[in-house]
Amino acid sequence: MKQRQFSLKVLEVEIDNENEFIEFFDTHGLLFKNHLISIKGDISDKIKLYLEEMDFKYINNITLPNGKNVKSVDINQNDNKVDKKELEALEEKLKSQAIDCRIKLQEAQAIINELEKKANRELVVVDDMVRSGREITVDGDLLLLNRVNSGATIKTTGNLIITQVVEGAIRCDGSFMMLTVSPKANIIFNGVEVDNSLLQDKLNRIELKDNKIYITPVIKKEINWVQ
Amino acid sequence: MGTVIAVISGKGGVGKTTTTANLGLGIAMNGKKCAIVDFDIGQRNLDMIIGLENRVVYDMVQVMEGECSIPQAIIKSKVNDNLHFLAASQTKDKSVLCSSKVEKLVKELKDSYDVVILDSPAGIESGFEHTIEFADEAIIVVNPEVSSIRDADRAIGILDAKSQKVKQGQEVNKYLIINRINPSMVQSGEMLKSDDILDILNIKLIGKIPEDKSIIDASNQGRPVVLDKKSEAGAAYLRVSKRLCGENVAFVDVESNQASGMLKKLAGIFR
Repeated sequence: MKQRQFSLKVLEVEIDNENEFIEFFDTHGLLFKNHLISIKGDISDKIKLYLEEMDFKYINNITLPNGKNVKSVDINQNDNKVDKKELEALEEKLKSQAIDCRIKLQEAQAIINELEKKANRELVVVDDMVRSGREITVDGDLLLLNRVNSGATIKTTGNLIITQVVEGAIRCDGSFMMLTVSPKANIIFNGVEVDNSLLQDKLNRIELKDNKIYITPVIKKEINWVQ
Repeated sequence: MGTVIAVISGKGGVGKTTTTANLGLGIAMNGKKCAIVDFDIGQRNLDMIIGLENRVVYDMVQVMEGECSIPQAIIKSKVNDNLHFLAASQTKDKSVLCSSKVEKLVKELKDSYDVVILDSPAGIESGFEHTIEFADEAIIVVNPEVSSIRDADRAIGILDAKSQKVKQGQEVNKYLIINRINPSMVQSGEMLKSDDILDILNIKLIGKIPEDKSIIDASNQGRPVVLDKKSEAGAAYLRVSKRLCGENVAFVDVESNQASGMLKKLAGIFR
């Protein structure tokens, strides 16, 4: 048989007003972090849920053996009895925790917003001749069904597909491009200038994988006959 | 109610003014009442090319300012009664133009002529914008070289964005003239091919004008080259004018004009 002995601090509470109880624990809960909460009488689901959420260990309807009564906690008069310094330190701790929480919440919200934006982003389809001097800037994916003439600029934050010849400038920050390029074009993909000589004069796939840019010409597949 | 045609190019020196003069005269020769208006304020040239340099009394700016009426300022051509000319001001600059005044002038001209041709200044500044603003159709003049084509491309883009007709939801008809084609250079691949130009600009071709030395002399003399029956460029301009008047004229391949070239060579031998 193994045995260990503890002397625990127990907070005995009798609930007659649930809201008052929750309010009390919201403000003073930190003081009883390592206490065992013993509740006289039955407890409702609301209180159960609250205590579990706040990570308190609790028991109810148990008659405790006689212990040393440390303090009887009275909600209204308690503040005066607690050491001022202790309280200030606690308040500071709470404050910093609240700030941390807020920062984390904001970060999470930002991530959610970005994901939402990505999910809601529609594909932009443009079927105009992009003439010299025109600049198309798209926050998202772009499908261009016509020529891009010399002197025009296309900027996208997402993926880009152009079905006709490109002679202008391309700035694409997506992970994927599909282009037919003339030697006059100037292509910058994720901040890297793509050498035109690498892009043969036909349709090319330009992809970003593991921080590397892959260029593969799209060739018509030939039938593989049985030898 | 006539048609207003703007002759534009973007780049300078490609032959806008020569084209305006020749098409104006060509249309007039087809029996239509035609007015040609020089919009190149501060740098007028059209008066010299049609040989009316010494006849200019009032100019376009004076008409717009209300100093004189349009009939007072209009100059009749010496060679064809159907051709009338309105000169640009040489002393003012482009800043005197404003939309409402230009609109009024163009409307009045449109009411009394079958065709009104506006000779646009080079570039894409305010003068150019005022020329295209109230035009029903546009003739884009290019040379078969890259810089001219890019500038024309830009000009077409601005035309599509700023024209009143486009703003009302209609389309401005755009016609392409490829000017100063040198057949032998096209043959040897040194000059851009028409197909490539049409690919880039994506508008309808209305004519190809071959390079012709007689144009320089014609301009200096003030007699547009359409009057010269022997000139290839003159014949080409006449064909374009007929097409503008609605006639269906077969295209002549000026790029590989081998036959006439051979004939000329033979003629040279026997001379």
